[in-house]
Amino acid sequence: MKGFSALTEKPWLALPDGQLALDPGSGTPPAQIALRFLLMVISIAFVLIFVTFLTRSQYPDFQALAGEPWLPFNQSPRLWATTAVLVAASLAMHWARHSIKAGRPDGVMLGISVGGFLALVFIMAQWTTWNYLTNLGYGINENSANSYFYLFTGLHALHLFGGVVALVRVFIRIGKGYSLEQVAIAVKACTTYWHYLLGLWLLLFFLLTRSPETYAIIAAACGLG
Amino acid sequence: MTHIAVADQEPELHHPRTFIGKYIWSQDHKVIAIQYGCTAIFVGLIALVLSVVMRLQLGFPDQFDFINPNMYLQFVTMHGMIMVVYMLTALLLGGFGNYLIPLMVGTRDMIFPYLNMLSFWFYFLSVLVLLASFFVPGGPTGAGWTLYPPQSILEGTPGSGLGIVLMLVSLAIFIIAFTMGGLNYVTTILQARTRGMTLMRMPLTIWGIFTATILGLFAFPALLVSAIMMLFDGLLGTSFFMPAIVSLGEATDFEGGSPILFQHLFWFFGHPEVYIVALPAFGMVSDVLSIHARKNIFGYRMMVWAIVIIGGLSFVVWAHHMYVSGMNPYFGFFFATTTLIIAVPTAIKVYNWVLTLWQGNIHLTVPMLFAIGFIFTFTHGGLSGLFLGNVVIDMPLSDTFFVVAHFHMVMGVSPILVLYSAIYHWFPLVTGKQLNTRLGMIHFWGTFLGTYAIFLPMHYIGFLGVPRRYYALGDTSFIPDSAHALNANMTIAVIIVALFQLVFIFNLFWTMKREPKSKINPWGAASLEWHTPEVPPGHGNWGKELPTVHRWAYDYSVPGVVQDYIPQHVPDSDVVYESGFDPSTSKREPT
Repeated sequence: MKGFSALTEKPWLALPDGQLALDPGSGTPPAQIALRFLLMVISIAFVLIFVTFLTRSQYPDFQALAGEPWLPFNQSPRLWATTAVLVAASLAMHWARHSIKAGRPDGVMLGISVGGFLALVFIMAQWTTWNYLTNLGYGINENSANSYFYLFTGLHALHLFGGVVALVRVFIRIGKGYSLEQVAIAVKACTTYWHYLLGLWLLLFFLLTRSPETYAIIAAACGLG
Repeated sequence: MTHIAVADQEPELHHPRTFIGKYIWSQDHKVIAIQYGCTAIFVGLIALVLSVVMRLQLGFPDQFDFINPNMYLQFVTMHGMIMVVYMLTALLLGGFGNYLIPLMVGTRDMIFPYLNMLSFWFYFLSVLVLLASFFVPGGPTGAGWTLYPPQSILEGTPGSGLGIVLMLVSLAIFIIAFTMGGLNYVTTILQARTRGMTLMRMPLTIWGIFTATILGLFAFPALLVSAIMMLFDGLLGTSFFMPAIVSLGEATDFEGGSPILFQHLFWFFGHPEVYIVALPAFGMVSDVLSIHARKNIFGYRMMVWAIVIIGGLSFVVWAHHMYVSGMNPYFGFFFATTTLIIAVPTAIKVYNWVLTLWQGNIHLTVPMLFAIGFIFTFTHGGLSGLFLGNVVIDMPLSDTFFVVAHFHMVMGVSPILVLYSAIYHWFPLVTGKQLNTRLGMIHFWGTFLGTYAIFLPMHYIGFLGVPRRYYALGDTSFIPDSAHALNANMTIAVIIVALFQLVFIFNLFWTMKREPKSKINPWGAASLEWHTPEVPPGHGNWGKELPTVHRWAYDYSVPGVVQDYIPQHVPDSDVVYESGFDPSTSKREPT
């Protein structure tokens, strides 16, 4: 319990000398700490929307987007395809991260280029999904299930776009001749972010394509029924 | 584990050469802090003027033609929102957080200086968007600072068009700014402390700012989410929060949404927000009390734990703001219980402040007066909170002036007294000059007694049942004439208090222009920030080498030591003892 012992220290007493000599080379890089906090912040935002979603799903006017054969996401090949794109993007980023370890700059360039490009493809695919839904008559203000679909996927896409901007910065840095060590932390952070957003998407995918009965079970399990 | 190489990033420091690089697009935490501080004080003054106008209407209804009911609601709303978010949060964390964190933990700058600069400019943009709402058709929103739907976006509420949109957009920008700043503060405190600065050697100011920042990072998403969802409802016609409703005689297209959901989201942010403001204030007041009483803070560890426990508990009390919205009685019981439990760590803090003063060598300097004043106002506001925390007492008192008096005592007056204390205390560090004491005394007594003259009677009229947010009371048999007389009195007190704030503003300019340089570390403080090679601290703060910390920040009046304080960076071997004193046994040789 490192944290606990840190909080029970008695600062008015002298410390043993050994503790003064902190090792400058060790410790988690600050960028990673900041990223962890950022992911926590994003998670909280999404969890809060999940909670409102589950509550709202139990109101009588809520019409789920799946559960009956004629509903748009009862079978969702479209969403499976976008999922495949995002999985591929994540794999590409993982490849970039692996190439950093292996010391291959071309692998890093390839990995982040493909990862960034596929992320943009995913965002475009989401855009077409929104158009598809609107054309089917499932506009954003037709029903709260639709509203949540646009809200969730829109926020997710926005976060992914922010990641792409960060990735472009890394790309430019490598182009300017920065060494692999100099961009290693950034590439690692971007990879973590991509994996996180993939995980988030899988959760969203699962949540948004359930039937009303499943929502009732989840909401009851969360005490929101 | 701290990271000395991170703290000591001298080679990478960005050295500005031009005026714009130094003062406008600055990446230096001290300049950014001053930018934050000046902007926050500026919007705070606007909010102060708004409160005076509101009070004119309440104290002397029908006397002022230029205040109409819509404007009154708009001023109430903007006063609340500006003071809570754009003034207090920004000044305490953006201003003092930015200035003090790197100096107090012994690093050269924030870990991500560029992000820090962006944080300020996003904040500035959010202020501009907010102020722009005064100039759009319909004016700013008048929905109350809680922005409850459905009324906030329905016609009939002032500012339901562009006003509310600008408010929500401004909040979203503010939250992005806060997140960028907050990531910086947390990472800097965790990763960039200098050698020897263990977590438990940090001054309580840093503990307060650190915990408040974490609260902010975890609570602001709730406001962001509710702002975005409300924007969807207002602009795109979704029904997240909007129920099927008839507005101005016409049915709207909304269907099935839940305004209560908004309230939950809002208060999940709103209650921790109280502590986002209070915890840095708790920290700073602890340091000021200890320094000006020349005594170590009583129960340092308890103080740290209390801060952390209060921070944790603040996330499980939010529904006490919603008792009148209706809830399961067990739910109400739970939230009443957690609310009352918060009184325990808070009371520990108050007792420890008083015990720090006990038998201390109290110097009644201006910062100390403000700090002691805070103990009074905070205890006062806290005690009325114990009443309101109970469901049965809250029901009749809800939406009366009792609530207004309570939250103004506890999170209006109290943090502002601490802010003044902190400004008077750290001004010699920031500018090298000490604010004029005589003017400071006038400012303190006017503010302290004046705010009591405003808010003490307000509890009473609240008890009588005078409702809040009403433009005029009209004919009400249950409100006696004495309540109207008190209302007029309070308004006069508000005007007087507002004028006393001008003394403070005048003091700032007077001191900068006329006062001589003060001596370095005029209060004899032991914490690191006062021991930089240059005062005010130069770019990079620490010269060639970072200080090494050998002790906590509260070694005041140590027995047998010649000087009445030992700075944090002085090793035991350099401490000068009185002749005949043996530090190993803490005894004097018999003479």
